[in-house]
Amino acid sequence: MNGHEHDRAVDLINRREVEGVSEADARWLESHLAACEDCSQYELALSGAERAMRSFTVMATGSLVESTRARVHARVVQLRERDSRRFLIAISFAMGVVFSTLSAWAWWKVGGWMVERFSLPSSMVGPGVVFFWLVPAILLGVLLVEFPESKFEGSVMQLLMKDRQRGIQ
Amino acid sequence: MMETEEAQIATGLRRRDPEVLDALIEQYQHRLLRYLIHLTGDRATAEDLFQETWIRVLEKGYQYDGKSKFATWLMTIAHNAAIDHLRKRRPESLDEMRDPEDAAPFEPVSDGPSPFEQVAALEDRARIQAALEQIPPIFREVLALRFQEQMKLEEIAKLINIPLATVKTRLYRGVIALRPALMGGQE
Repeated sequence: MNGHEHDRAVDLINRREVEGVSEADARWLESHLAACEDCSQYELALSGAERAMRSFTVMATGSLVESTRARVHARVVQLRERDSRRFLIAISFAMGVVFSTLSAWAWWKVGGWMVERFSLPSSMVGPGVVFFWLVPAILLGVLLVEFPESKFEGSVMQLLMKDRQRGIQ
Repeated sequence: MMETEEAQIATGLRRRDPEVLDALIEQYQHRLLRYLIHLTGDRATAEDLFQETWIRVLEKGYQYDGKSKFATWLMTIAHNAAIDHLRKRRPESLDEMRDPEDAAPFEPVSDGPSPFEQVAALEDRARIQAALEQIPPIFREVLALRFQEQMKLEEIAKLINIPLATVKTRLYRGVIALRPALMGGQE
């Protein structure tokens, strides 16, 4: 008998109960166990370990389950609020992008007119346009960060957020 | 077409449905706690990780696709939570995290044996429990997943994220480590 046969026997013993083994493998294993004291002892030890592991049970206490549920429910509320806020920010960002794109041409023209009207250096047109271009997004961002949700009560954004929360629920 | 139970769970987790989570906590409470106790060797730590696991189930619920067994996914989340906890507590090794003086984690099954049998059974359990507490958690974890959760070796390998050969080695060594206690200390 070589090491490979012992390895095969141990593998079959391990797999017999859960995965199952073929009839041919089962026959080979029986004949091996009849001749191999070490593998036979391992089989006994495995059965014993299985019985031992199953002989213990653990009960989660009612208080543990209740406190877990309470924590999970509180986290659900937090995550929904966070999602709503992210949704609001995403909508604002999208609107900002659309508005900025549509207004880019007009801002460029205004910038050119301002430079000409006040005799400013022409290199200011680019940075100036970018600044005014970003003003709506910057203002909206400041409002979102500084003011609590309740300040937006009744606004279109608030209505959108509530619709989304209802959808999630 | 009827949705499978796993698919329904996946849908509920994606929606973060509290009722689905309540039902899952109810269904898996004992199994999850038992697994965590085997993994940590300490009931208080296991209870903390029990709560942490369910919070992670909520937060990572969108990752569960409903194609695999929920129990396996749950145990994977629990395993990772335990590993993170143990790394924070004692970064050096998972093997060294267990404190033998910690409160006894196991509770015997009550099935109404005679007083003599009760005493004998208690002695057996105490011996086996002591043996279980002595073997490294990495072996105990594989034994628990195999014999209590009835998981296939490949499932265990995937759950713990180790090679199949390592699972076999841990199972073998875990069984061998338990053998003296199972033989009544005669070895």
